[in-house]
Amino acid sequence: MTPDGVGARMVALVGAGAAFSVTFGEVTVDVPTDRWVEALTAARDDPQVAARFFDWLSAVDETDRPPAGFSVLAHLYSLTGRHHLLLRTLVPTDRPRLPSVVGVFAGAGWHERETAEMFGVVFDGHPDPTPLLLPDGFEGHPLRKDFVLAARVAKPWPGAPEPGQGHPAAPRRTRTRPPGVPDPARWGAGHQESAAGQVGGDGD
Amino acid sequence: MTENTDEQVPDGEIADEAAGGPALPPGGHGVIALLEENCTACMLCARECPDWCIYIESHQQTVEVTGGRPRQHNVLDRFAIDFSLCMYCGICIEVCPFDALFWSPEFSYAERDLQGLTHERDRLREWMWTVPAPPARDPDGAGPAGS
Repeated sequence: MTPDGVGARMVALVGAGAAFSVTFGEVTVDVPTDRWVEALTAARDDPQVAARFFDWLSAVDETDRPPAGFSVLAHLYSLTGRHHLLLRTLVPTDRPRLPSVVGVFAGAGWHERETAEMFGVVFDGHPDPTPLLLPDGFEGHPLRKDFVLAARVAKPWPGAPEPGQGHPAAPRRTRTRPPGVPDPARWGAGHQESAAGQVGGDGD
Repeated sequence: MTENTDEQVPDGEIADEAAGGPALPPGGHGVIALLEENCTACMLCARECPDWCIYIESHQQTVEVTGGRPRQHNVLDRFAIDFSLCMYCGICIEVCPFDALFWSPEFSYAERDLQGLTHERDRLREWMWTVPAPPARDPDGAGPAGS
């Protein structure tokens, strides 16, 4: 089946709210969150799509652009039709919940546990919703864009000195700041000093 | 250390095909070399580095020019790459506006001590001798600007 054929068939199976797009020769089908389990079931059971091989499930943090949320993706493959299928649904940032698809593909269990701990997406109905990779007591969701690495607090940014200036950066002009790390007044070592003794907070 | 018999990671002069070692796969690369003569300590590589593994220290020097104003230029005091942090993304090489950083095919520089993986400027300069010549110019390509 061609990517367009798979997409059109999936849209017909899932019904209202579904849409497909073909990029780089592979099809992505967007489905509404409440049709997520039905979409995966249909992709597996439909004799034309027949995407019975579950490859992976993960998420993408898209909270910084509208429509904001976390895109949860599942990649399936049809061994008989030899075509790929990427299913995608957008869960809102403030309420990242999605029904678990362990009942459709048992192999999705670990993938959902990893997605849950890394992105904070809650998979309702998961038989064992415990962290998969992170150590006990880890706070925060490391693959979210607003998660800042602890190593970025512990170590001074080597890009801070101005060219030709010594190690302490001259305090004239606005100081250059490392990309992806928030203002130290709001977060990190400086923030912890100013809020000393209040909360032992890393990873807020 | 016991003798390493692994075909993929042999001891010694690995990247050197003439010495009997295997060649790198196409598109492969090894360590990052520094041509410090080209470095102006502009800090671009250190600021772009996603791993924060490039350390640069520099100071400004004033040079008297006969028949002109005195010129200031940056003098490099320290240039180090911590290869225990480096993920070999090559962004520093891409971003360098003065062609001071290069890929070298050498990848045999394992250390027993983590500190030893921080290569200072002299060691990074030494890698420069292993950098292959750039590919020949495309004869069908456009000539130099202004020609």
